[in-house]
Amino acid sequence: MAETPPAGSRFWRAARRVAVLAAMAIAFFPIFWLVSTSLKPHEEWTSSPPVWVTSQPTLQNYRIVFFPEAARRFAAHEAGSLDYKVSGSAWKAFGDSALIATLATFFSVVFGTLAAYSIARYRTGGDNYPFQFLTIRMFPPIAVVVPMVVLFSLLKLTDTYAGMVIAYTAFTLPFSIWMIRSFIEEVPAELEGAAMVHGMTPMRAFLTITVPLIKGGVLATALFVFILNWSEFLFALTLTSGHVVTVTVQVANYVSASSGKLYGVQAAMGTISTIPVILFGYLIQRHLVRGLSFGAIKR
Amino acid sequence: MARRFSIPFNVRLVLPAQLTMMAVVLVPTLIAIWLSLTDWQPTSGVPWYQSELIWFWNFNDLWFDDRFTAALIRTIIVVAVCVAAELGIALSLALLFLDDWPWRKLAVSVIILPMMIVPVDAANAFFMLFNERGPINHVISLLLGRRFEFSWLSDANWAMAPIMLAEIWQWTPLMFLLVLTGFMNLPRNQVRAAIVLGASPVRIFFRIMLPLLAPVITLAVLIRAIETFKIFDPVYILTRGGPGASTETISMFMYNGAFVYFRMGYVAAAALIVLVVVTAICMALARPLQRHG
Repeated sequence: MAETPPAGSRFWRAARRVAVLAAMAIAFFPIFWLVSTSLKPHEEWTSSPPVWVTSQPTLQNYRIVFFPEAARRFAAHEAGSLDYKVSGSAWKAFGDSALIATLATFFSVVFGTLAAYSIARYRTGGDNYPFQFLTIRMFPPIAVVVPMVVLFSLLKLTDTYAGMVIAYTAFTLPFSIWMIRSFIEEVPAELEGAAMVHGMTPMRAFLTITVPLIKGGVLATALFVFILNWSEFLFALTLTSGHVVTVTVQVANYVSASSGKLYGVQAAMGTISTIPVILFGYLIQRHLVRGLSFGAIKR
Repeated sequence: MARRFSIPFNVRLVLPAQLTMMAVVLVPTLIAIWLSLTDWQPTSGVPWYQSELIWFWNFNDLWFDDRFTAALIRTIIVVAVCVAAELGIALSLALLFLDDWPWRKLAVSVIILPMMIVPVDAANAFFMLFNERGPINHVISLLLGRRFEFSWLSDANWAMAPIMLAEIWQWTPLMFLLVLTGFMNLPRNQVRAAIVLGASPVRIFFRIMLPLLAPVITLAVLIRAIETFKIFDPVYILTRGGPGASTETISMFMYNGAFVYFRMGYVAAAALIVLVVVTAICMALARPLQRHG
C-alpha cells in the first residue's frame, strides 16, 4: 500500500525511525541479555550493578551444559558456594527432543495431510468437522494432562518416547490439518480429476499431481510443527520423569537447592536450545502467519 | 451383488488423525469424568479405578474454593490485559510499516524475533531481567537517582507484572504480523479514493481501514485470547503461582493441585469445569475462523 497516508514531513519520518528502532531494541534486549549472561563467569551472574557485557567472556557455562563432569570439577575447585548439582548432560536432552519432535512431526504431518486431503476434496464429515480438531488447541493442556497421566500409567507409556510422540502428534494435528488443507485448496481439484479420467486412483492422483505442487507448503507445515514440538514444556514436564528428558525440561533442571537458579548455565542452555527454532522460524517466515492463524490468513 | 461392508475411501483418510485425537482427548475426558466423582489421590495407594465415589462433592468444594475462583478471575484479567496490550502495540506498530522504506524487511525480522524463541527460554530471560539486581531494577535506579532493589517476583501485588510483560513481549510480534498482513491485503481502491477526496489520515484509519480490518483483528484477538487463557510456561518459570497463590492462573492452579497436592479427583473436576466453559466460549466465538460459511 505505497500510497496510503505517507507521513510526509521530515519530523514524522524521524519520529517513525525512532519508534521503529525502539521497538527493535525492546524485541532484542531480553535475547541479548540471555546470550550475554551465558558468557559471564559466575561472579557476574547477579552482581550489582549488573554487568551488561562481560569483560572476561568464558565458555564455562556451555562446558557445564554439555559436560556435567566438568561442572562437578569446577564446583569442587573454585565455586565452593555454588552447588552445581547438574543432573544430566544436555546431549541427552538434545537427542531426546530431536527424536521426539521429529517423529511426532512426521506422524502429525502425514496424518494431517491425509485428513486435510479428505476434508478439502470430499468435505468429509461436513463443514463443522474440521472444527472438532481445533478443540484440542482450545483446552488448556493441563486439563487433559491429569487423566492422561492416569491413562499413560495404565498403558505403561509414562516417561517413554512413544508416549511423548503420541501426545505431541495429537496436539499438533490441528495445525497440520488446517494449514495443509489451506495449501490443498489452492490447487484446483480439476487437476486430480483429469488424472483420474486417465485411470489413476484418487489416492494416486493426489500423490502424483497435488502433493508435488504443495510440497513447499507441507515442508513449511512440518517445520512449523517441529518448532511447536521442540518448544513444548507442559507435557514434557508432567509426562516424563527422568528417563526421557526434553530440552525445555533440561532448562528447568538447572535450578539448584542451595544457590537458586544457575543463571549463566541456564542462559547457555537457553541460547543453544532456542537456536534451531529461530533458524526454522526464519526459514518459514513467509508461512508463519498462515500457520499461526490455522490457514485462515494468507500472504 | 452383496458387497462386504467397507469404510469409504475419504473416511479411511481421516481415520489416523481421528483415532489419535480420540486417544488423547476423548479417552482422557472419560477418565476425567470418572476421576472427578472420586477423591482419588495417587499417594493413598489405592488404584484410581477402585477409589471411593464421592459423587459431586468435588464440584461442591470447587464452588466454595476461593483459590479456584481467584485463579479463574485472575486468568481472565491476564487475558484481557495481555490481549489488549498486544493489540494496541501491534496496531500502532503496523501503521509504521504501511509503506516501503529501506530497512523495513530487517526491522520486521528483528521485531518478530520474540515469537521465535522457546517460551521457557523467554521466561528465563525475564526471570533474569527482573532479578533484584537485574538490569530492569538497575535502569530504574539510574532514572530515580537512588538505589532501587525491588524484588518483583516475591511481591504478591507485583509478581504478575513480569509474567504479563513476558507474555506481551513474546506474543505482540504475532499480533503485529497478523495485523500487518491484514493491512497489506486491504483493497487499495477505497483508501485511494478517500485520499483523493481529501480525507485526513486519522479519518481514513478509523473509518475505512479499521472496519475493513475487523475480521483479521477478530481472528487475531480470538487466537491470542485462547492461547493466553492457557498461560503456563512463564508462570511456572517465574513464580510457580507464588508468592502464596498470588500469581496462580487456572493452568497453574490445576498443576499445583495435581502435582504438588496430589488431589487428582479435585483437579479432574476443575478441569471438566474449565473444559465446559472453554467449549461454550469457543462455540460462540469460533465463527470467524469459518471461512466457508
